[in-house]
Amino acid sequence: MSSISVTRIQRELKDIKSECSGQNIKIELYNDEYTNLRGEIVGPPETPYHGGVFKLIIKIPESYPFNPPKVSFETKIWHPNISSVTGAICLDILKDQWAAALTLRTVLLSLQALLSDAEPDDPQDAVVARQFKENKRAFLKTAKFWAQHYAHAPGPVDKDCVEKLKKATEMGFFKDVSLEALSKYSWNLETAIQHLTN
Amino acid sequence: MEPSTDQPGTSHSTTNPISDGSGENNGQFECNICLDTAKDAVISYCGHLFCWPCLHQWLETKPNRQECPVCKAGIGKDKVVPLYGRGSTNNQDPREKLPPRPQAQRPEAENRNPGFPGLNFGDGSFQMSFGIGAFPFGFFGTLFNINDGRPRPPPFGGAQYQDEQMLSRVFLWVAVILMFWLFFL
Repeated sequence: MSSISVTRIQRELKDIKSECSGQNIKIELYNDEYTNLRGEIVGPPETPYHGGVFKLIIKIPESYPFNPPKVSFETKIWHPNISSVTGAICLDILKDQWAAALTLRTVLLSLQALLSDAEPDDPQDAVVARQFKENKRAFLKTAKFWAQHYAHAPGPVDKDCVEKLKKATEMGFFKDVSLEALSKYSWNLETAIQHLTN
Repeated sequence: MEPSTDQPGTSHSTTNPISDGSGENNGQFECNICLDTAKDAVISYCGHLFCWPCLHQWLETKPNRQECPVCKAGIGKDKVVPLYGRGSTNNQDPREKLPPRPQAQRPEAENRNPGFPGLNFGDGSFQMSFGIGAFPFGFFGTLFNINDGRPRPPPFGGAQYQDEQMLSRVFLWVAVILMFWLFFL
C-alpha cells in the first residue's frame, strides 16, 4: 500500500466526519489497512429507493487516487445500472472518467445521483433496463419492493408483491430466488413459477 | 501561509475545502490530489493547485488523456505555473525537481546475418559445404559461452549445473558422430 493512498484515505475519512453528517452518506473502515471500506447511502427522495439504506463495498487499489476505487453494492438493488445479482455498478467515473481530485464522498454522492437518474441506455443489468424502458410501472413497483425488502425503506408494502412472493415460497422455492424470478417477469406469477421449475 | 491551513476543523474551514474545485479561494492551499498542503506547488492554467509530484504521477498514469483532475481542462508539463512563496530559499522550478522522464533511446539497428550469402546462391553444393564449414564454429561459439546477454550459467556443483554438463556431453557426442558420418559415408 503506497503511503499516498493511505494518507489520502485518512484525510478523506476525517473530512467526511466533519462534513457529511447531514448528507445521508457514511463511510467507515472495514479493516485497519485502508484497503477495505464500507459505505452507506440513503435512497434519495422521489425515487423508489427513498429512505432505503444501501450498503456499499469499497476497495481501494494501491494506486489510489490515481486510479478509481472499486465500488459495488452489498445491499441488493433493482436498478438498470446496477447488477441485481452481483451489485456491480456501471458508472463512468468509476471507470475511464475517474479523476484524481474525486473523492469517496463525491463517488457516493454520484451514486446517490445515479439512483435518482438511471441510464437505461448504458445498462449493467439488461433485464432491469428492459423492464425500465418497456414497463415502467412494473419497474417502479419492483424497485420499491426491493428497497423495502433488502434496504429497509419505510412505507406501506405492496400487498400484491407480498402475496405472490408468499405463494412462490410456499411452493418450496427460496425467497431470494422467487423474488428474482417474480421481478424478472414483472410479477407474473405463472411465468415466474414456470421459470423456477425449469 | 497561515498556520491554520494545516488544521481543518477550525472555524476557518467550515466550508468544503476540497474535492470540487470550489474551495481554493478561501485561504486553503491544499493539493487537489493528496489533499495535503501543496508542496512544490504548481497551478494549472484553469486555476487548480497541485503538488508537482502528485500532478506528475497523474499525468504519468494517463499518458493519453492529459486532463486536469478537477475540471478536465487540458493540462501538461508546459501548461502549469510553478508557485514561489516569500522566503522560500529554494527557488528551483518544481518541475525540474522530479527525475525527468527517461529519455527515449535509439539503439543501433541490429544487423542480422551479416553478409550471409547462402540464400543468394541457389547452387546446392555450395550450401552444403557452407553448412559443414560453419557447423564447428557455431558449436565452439556455444562451447566458449560468449557473453551475449543470455542468463548466467548455474552455480558450480548444483543440480542444474550437473544436468547441463550432462547435456553438453551428449551433444558433443552427437556432434562427433555426425562429423564421422559426414566424412566417412
